[in-house]
Amino acid sequence: MPVNAAETTGRDAASGRFSRQFSRWLVRRIPPARSITLDQRRIFIFPSLPGFFFFVLLLLILLTAINYQNNMAYAVAFLLATLFVVSILHTYANLAGLTLHALSATPAFPGQRSEFRLRLQRSGKAAHYALRLSWPQGSDSLVSLADRDSCEVSLYVPVGNRGWHNPGRLLLESRYPLGLLRCWTWLDLDLQALVYPRPLATAAPPGGDGGRPEGNAVETAGSDDFHGFRSYRPGDSLRQVHWKAVARGHSLQSKVYAAYASRTAWLDWDAFPGIATEQRLSYLCYWALALERRGEDYGLSLPGVDIAPASGEAHQGRILAALALYQHGAAAS
Amino acid sequence: MKRDPAAGTLIPRNALVWIIISQFALLAPHLLRLPLWLVLVYLGTAVWRLLVFQGRASFPGRLVRASLALGGCVAVFLSYGNLLGLEPTVALLLIAFAFKLLELVKPKDAYVLLFLGYFICVIGFLFSQDILFVLYSLFTLVLVTTGLVALHRPREDRFRLGSLRLPALMLAQAFPLMLVLFFLFPRIGPLWTVPVKSHAAKTGVSDFMRPGDISELSQSDDVAFRVQFDGDIPPKSELYWRGLVFSVLEEGAWRSLRYNELPGLELRPPPVEPEGEPLEYTVLMLPTQQNWLYSLRYAQPAQRGILSTADYRLYSPVEIEEQLQYRVRSWPLTALDPELSDWRRETELTLPEQDNPATRELAQRLRSEAADASAYVDSVLQHFRDQPFVYTLQPPLLTAENSMDQFLLQTRRGFCEHYAYAFVVMMRAAGVPARVVAGYQGGEINPVNRTVIVHQFDAHAWAEVWLEGRGWVRIDPTAAVSPDRIELGLEEAVAAEGSFLANSPLSPLRYRGVNWVNMLRLRYDALTYRWQSWVTGFDGEEQYRLLQDLFGSIRAPVFAGAILLSGLVVLIPVGWLLLQHRRPRPLPPEQRLFLEFCEQMRRQGITRTTGEAPGSFGRRVAREAPKLAGWAMELTEAFEQLAYGGKSRDAAAYRQQLAGLRQRLRRVPQSGSER
Repeated sequence: MPVNAAETTGRDAASGRFSRQFSRWLVRRIPPARSITLDQRRIFIFPSLPGFFFFVLLLLILLTAINYQNNMAYAVAFLLATLFVVSILHTYANLAGLTLHALSATPAFPGQRSEFRLRLQRSGKAAHYALRLSWPQGSDSLVSLADRDSCEVSLYVPVGNRGWHNPGRLLLESRYPLGLLRCWTWLDLDLQALVYPRPLATAAPPGGDGGRPEGNAVETAGSDDFHGFRSYRPGDSLRQVHWKAVARGHSLQSKVYAAYASRTAWLDWDAFPGIATEQRLSYLCYWALALERRGEDYGLSLPGVDIAPASGEAHQGRILAALALYQHGAAAS
Repeated sequence: MKRDPAAGTLIPRNALVWIIISQFALLAPHLLRLPLWLVLVYLGTAVWRLLVFQGRASFPGRLVRASLALGGCVAVFLSYGNLLGLEPTVALLLIAFAFKLLELVKPKDAYVLLFLGYFICVIGFLFSQDILFVLYSLFTLVLVTTGLVALHRPREDRFRLGSLRLPALMLAQAFPLMLVLFFLFPRIGPLWTVPVKSHAAKTGVSDFMRPGDISELSQSDDVAFRVQFDGDIPPKSELYWRGLVFSVLEEGAWRSLRYNELPGLELRPPPVEPEGEPLEYTVLMLPTQQNWLYSLRYAQPAQRGILSTADYRLYSPVEIEEQLQYRVRSWPLTALDPELSDWRRETELTLPEQDNPATRELAQRLRSEAADASAYVDSVLQHFRDQPFVYTLQPPLLTAENSMDQFLLQTRRGFCEHYAYAFVVMMRAAGVPARVVAGYQGGEINPVNRTVIVHQFDAHAWAEVWLEGRGWVRIDPTAAVSPDRIELGLEEAVAAEGSFLANSPLSPLRYRGVNWVNMLRLRYDALTYRWQSWVTGFDGEEQYRLLQDLFGSIRAPVFAGAILLSGLVVLIPVGWLLLQHRRPRPLPPEQRLFLEFCEQMRRQGITRTTGEAPGSFGRRVAREAPKLAGWAMELTEAFEQLAYGGKSRDAAAYRQQLAGLRQRLRRVPQSGSER
């Protein structure tokens, strides 16, 4: 259910119906896709506010020309009028041929802003200026493709509740070169951000009392005591990477720290009986973060989902994603 | 939704510099028309704005701005005495333009400033439509548009000369369609009266002639009018351009009869029979702020809106504030007023009482010696020839009383108006009806386009004498004194004196001897004539003629069709030029098929990451969806072969492989999404 800017602005019923119709029409006209190239089907153009004032100016010049019977004033009126017409083509050409690729959206906690990364690419060698990209509630970015073929753009959008957050349609607009016309498009780049549950502190740690660790030292990440090196495995935190060695030209090595684990913690759905789903997920989320900070291994057990204990950024991501998407229907890993 | 992408942001420095440049370029042509303080205001605001730009000053507060605006209005009022004429209006506009610079913070302010700039450019044309000025104004239009474009290029913090390129290109693209609109847009009359140039001087011959007036006018090398003859140009000595007829001598000055002094029967010119072949010509007159037009005698206007007066002159009911082009037919051999009415005879014989006794005495003596009026005219001219009269641009001042006695008997140095004056007084004193005619004599023939250029220094005064059976006969007493003036022009006539255009040492007319300067001047004059007759003088009548030539009859559909068609003819190439480098290149078919495959996989939940090679994506699909493994690997392989395989494939094999790939893609194995 894409949320459109037009939908959010429309307050009363009539405009609500209109904006729903508009977004339905928009979906038919510009269907969602991961990369969209702008052509005449996707670009809208209309005079801007300064453009309307420009018409007033033209009228004034024409009246001057008529009242003073001045042919050069006529000429300027017509030159500016045709300049306006020519600028329709220039403004359109400033958007035409651009391709937008959706790159990624970083997961975020509710109330935070997710970073949406896009790549803007031009088809030819012609320069594009003052392209403004924005999501209805998000930040905006003003970029130009003058001396480069593509650029990456990061836009930050505040996310809502747990699950997938769809930022709606991306607005790409430009008034270059004269500012008299506004050329824009609404694009659905099929890009969604994962929203984790809101972490809520709770006293009781799940699956045990979480006391001081005892027993054998176990290699784990994120602890204090340095233990040795091992070759880098995907999922290792970048903070663990032994960058000095990389700088000397060696292969990627991860620093391994020692911690003491008496047992592995289980983040268990059933550890919070009688508590509402969202709150349970919030508690589990809190503990996932806390255990990761401590560098302990932890697993997740939700109805229908079991993740074996481990630790590390990638593991934490998997756990949080599972929490985020619990009972959310969508089958995404 | 209507938020300006540039709103809230600051104006790029490049744009700021271009705005200030365009502002000064727009001010420049008005410099000589404006009071000095306004120019200082301009400099002051520009310096202030640059200080703000450098962070060494701040924008003025609201109170300061309000008092500046009020002060500006008061200062304009004090300088001009009113606020409603054209010049004060222009001064107010320019002040607003200058002060707006101090408010230039946001792009919104820049729009106001630049739109005002366009309008000020138009205002300049109310003062001059000269071809060089128009070219300059076109340049200022490019500058203003550059400001507008620079405003929309974010983060340009350095001044770039290259910013001029796009605006110049866009205006060039707009130009052809502008021409179409210019010639096709219907011309209508003024909708309401507008402030006029209150300070514009009346130029040319005035309706009041005192000795010394015309010699003063002869100091100017301005063009009075240009004439294009349909046939051959008559000899210079026949080119007497009549503008005014002075019939009344009052307090030492000549003036023409006022309309309300004419009795009812004398309002219209007495009918005459045109004689001989007519001369047909077009006069392109520059604004004079006066009513009379110039023509050879006996002239009939060939267009509406021009009247004939009782003394056979052409007259415009409205003052000529813009250049005027009119067609005339003249029959030079026609006798004017073959029968003189009693009222007219009496009027043309009246002299102030008791004036110039010595002149009267001389006139009566010569008249008594002559057999008839005609012989008397000859003897007076002979008198001018015999006595040591001098034709000079620098005549001595004459006293107000009995000035002709002083001129004829003492100083004997004078310009054409002195001779015409003295001659007519002598005629009237002897009972011969006579009057002074003022206008221009001669003109310069431009070999480039065969126009006759009449300058202000060609201003002249001569006499008309009424003779029985011949009507009004033109007598030029100056010719008796200085035949060179009529045959060769003023420059030759006063060559010995060195007084020709003595006050304008830089006038190109003084360098007529230098061949290339002269040729350049004449070519430019020919260009100006064409410009004035075709472009700035293009009016409803010209348009009607042009449209009839183009379309035969003028009907609305033809008209609209012509505008539409020319619009398309102009815009399609522009659009093509702009878009040919921006159209996305279509992907090769195998790439499209592969993307289709990726899209299918994405719906299955396996998304190809950015930059993932087709092969590794295929392997990943095989790993994550084992049921699809065989199909996906086969398909990826087929694609890789097509896309990156042998270069030397022939078309038939390529098509076959492509069809294979397409077929494979359609045969998706039924699979679940479990992995």
